[in-house]
Amino acid sequence: MSLAAAFRVGRSASHPGTSPAVTSAIAIQSRGYAAPAKPAKKVASKFRPNANNEKAKRAARDPGLFRPMPANNLTDPVFQSDQRAALQLPIFRPETLTPEKANTAMAFPSEGSRALKAYGLPVNVLVDYMLLAKPCSVVRKVTIDALDSLDKAASTSSSQTRLVFTGKSGCGKSYLLLQAVQYAVQKEWITMYIPRAINLVNSSTSYVYDARTQTYGQPAFAQQLLKRFADVNEALIKGIKVQGSYPFEERTIGSTSTLTELINVGLEFSHHAPTVLSMLLTELAEQTKFPVLLAIDDFQALYNMSFYRDPFYKQVKAYHLSFPRTLLEFASGKQAFKRGAVLGALSTQNTTFRAPLELIEALGLEPAQPSGPYVPREKELVEYAKGLKNFAVPDQLTVDEAASIFDVWQSAKALHVSRGDEMFLSKFTESGGNAREFVQKALLQTVAM
Amino acid sequence: MNVARHVAWRSALRSRAYATAAYVPPASLEGLQRARAPPPKPKPESPTFYTGRANYYDQLLALETATKHTRTALQELQLLPLPKFARENLPPLRPVWKNKVDLAELMDANLTTSRYRRFLSQLNQLNEYRRLAEIAGHVQLAERIQHVLDVFERDNKEAILARGKRKPVKFDEFGRSYTIGRRKESTARVWVIAAQPSPEDEPVASSSVSSEAAASSAPVSSTPAMGISGFTQGPLSLAPAPVKVPTTNILVNNIPLAEYFPHVSDRERIVRPFRVAGLIGAFNVFALVRGGGSTGQSGAVCLGIAKALAAHVPDSEPLLRKAKLLKRDPRMVERKKTGRAKARKAYTWVKR
Repeated sequence: MSLAAAFRVGRSASHPGTSPAVTSAIAIQSRGYAAPAKPAKKVASKFRPNANNEKAKRAARDPGLFRPMPANNLTDPVFQSDQRAALQLPIFRPETLTPEKANTAMAFPSEGSRALKAYGLPVNVLVDYMLLAKPCSVVRKVTIDALDSLDKAASTSSSQTRLVFTGKSGCGKSYLLLQAVQYAVQKEWITMYIPRAINLVNSSTSYVYDARTQTYGQPAFAQQLLKRFADVNEALIKGIKVQGSYPFEERTIGSTSTLTELINVGLEFSHHAPTVLSMLLTELAEQTKFPVLLAIDDFQALYNMSFYRDPFYKQVKAYHLSFPRTLLEFASGKQAFKRGAVLGALSTQNTTFRAPLELIEALGLEPAQPSGPYVPREKELVEYAKGLKNFAVPDQLTVDEAASIFDVWQSAKALHVSRGDEMFLSKFTESGGNAREFVQKALLQTVAM
Repeated sequence: MNVARHVAWRSALRSRAYATAAYVPPASLEGLQRARAPPPKPKPESPTFYTGRANYYDQLLALETATKHTRTALQELQLLPLPKFARENLPPLRPVWKNKVDLAELMDANLTTSRYRRFLSQLNQLNEYRRLAEIAGHVQLAERIQHVLDVFERDNKEAILARGKRKPVKFDEFGRSYTIGRRKESTARVWVIAAQPSPEDEPVASSSVSSEAAASSAPVSSTPAMGISGFTQGPLSLAPAPVKVPTTNILVNNIPLAEYFPHVSDRERIVRPFRVAGLIGAFNVFALVRGGGSTGQSGAVCLGIAKALAAHVPDSEPLLRKAKLLKRDPRMVERKKTGRAKARKAYTWVKR
């Protein structure tokens, strides 16, 4: 009924003598604008945002693992697969590591140990291996020295061997730590290697507050680390029995259980994973069957403020996160493996997580920031840094070491420069002996002939 | 003309006494005191006195005499006249005579340009004879002529002749060269010293690794260094002696090269003189550079190093010159001009 017609009807209602049909209509109050609101019919909207740019969604790329493509898949002639010669290098083995073998390039065994594949690699090392197509490194004199100290630590408590590799940016600390981890794995140590400790504090994984320990646990990270640890140390922890008793809601881990069963609890239930991880480390500290190596790259990240925020939007300190706190306790000697060592390597790549003054002073390095008596030092960090020993990595490569590196890159056909003494020495001079400058800038970025 | 003066002059003429003097008897002249006779004029030392410019002509005559004697001597030695081919092949003369003012002061005479030129032509003639004597090997004669000519040469003759020539690079008591290089707005002061061989460092004995290797039953894969395969005796069967390779260390403003110049192109520019001369590892460099940006500073250090290498190893100079490393790049930032946005960039042309 139109509005005008309704109005007419309404007006005529007040006057007597209207038609009965109209009267009945008035009684129902059927004016269009006063009609009761009907519930709207729910129709599914045909509007789809981003309908035009629907791309195939890719799974998140895990850069921590290195998976080379097999040579058989490279069928295109541009790859020159018929001229391909795999890099022939001696295998990195503890028996072959003598002082005479310093300055030799050695490949990490691909079939034997799984540490590299399981734990992942620091980013710079990974990038190198993507170009070289084979994980390898050059055994230097410092390698021999570091592995010597590792050998001495096999029988002593880890509180006596808490080394931190320090040195200039690009001098080879991460590589040295990787060699130490590889050595330990081959020497039948129980190894836990954290290649990028920055991922613990840069708010890239989930975190949950645990009221019991009053710390923040990181369940996803802990679960992944437990899996990797189990992968690498499967054979060694098979026979180790749990010494404490750990009751969980789902099951109890007692003295009859093995470490593998303890780890499985964490793998199955992610909310238990942080607790399982700290329990695992406590258990490893007690056992004396195998020496334990705890290796942490980006060590200085544990001494910084994390990017996590508490409910009051204050930054969470790294030692208020459960796993970094455990690591710091082992690093400072508050907890110690009965047999084993703790190795750390500083990294200068990420300037958001720099080594703080407390750590620098504990290691005896020269502070680049103000360090007078009026600069506050955090008491907790000073305690967590106490007793750390500085293992200085030399700033410059020797000519022989650099020559081995040059040889490896040339043999891998990863360089476009000529292979000769003159080229090598000029690139060595340009980089001033710094390993990263030598490879990344002088060899890979050069256009001079 | 003043008529009164004219009339007075005329009257003076009329009253002048002429040659016919008045007669005076001898007796009256007896007691007469005559004026003293004028002192006898001394005979002039040289015949050039009457020229009025004695000093000048004395010197000139002396020079002419010397030239005459030299000519006679050379003719006796059969060095004059010289055949045409010999004359053409003589080394060039580069005299630096005193200028007119200095020569005038030396001779204590007033010199005009024509007299100065005449004097110079005489000096040049004598200089040519000196050259002949020197070339022919008559050292003594040449020296005597030089002795004569030395008086008339400028004091700063060496400095004037050395103008336009590069000063030789000096080395200090440690054998360091000091050179300066410039590029755009940057200046670099570069000290280059030959790399000394460092004392051999002993190999550090590592106890545990080697003992573990010995203890393990697995065969040790490391083989001792061997000579060329197939030779069991003689020098070729011996392992080559390990060579200690010296390296070039470069410090710029007391900072290592790789730290001071993050760009690869700058580093390569600085190492280039060593590559061209084939002297990498032979020298160490310390440079202080100021002004400009990274390209200017690296170019300045490069020039300084090239000059230093040319001084340390003169054989490398033609190589560096061919590679244009010894040339100071004259390109500088062009100034902005009025009516243009930048040196060359013009504002957008508007039709109306």
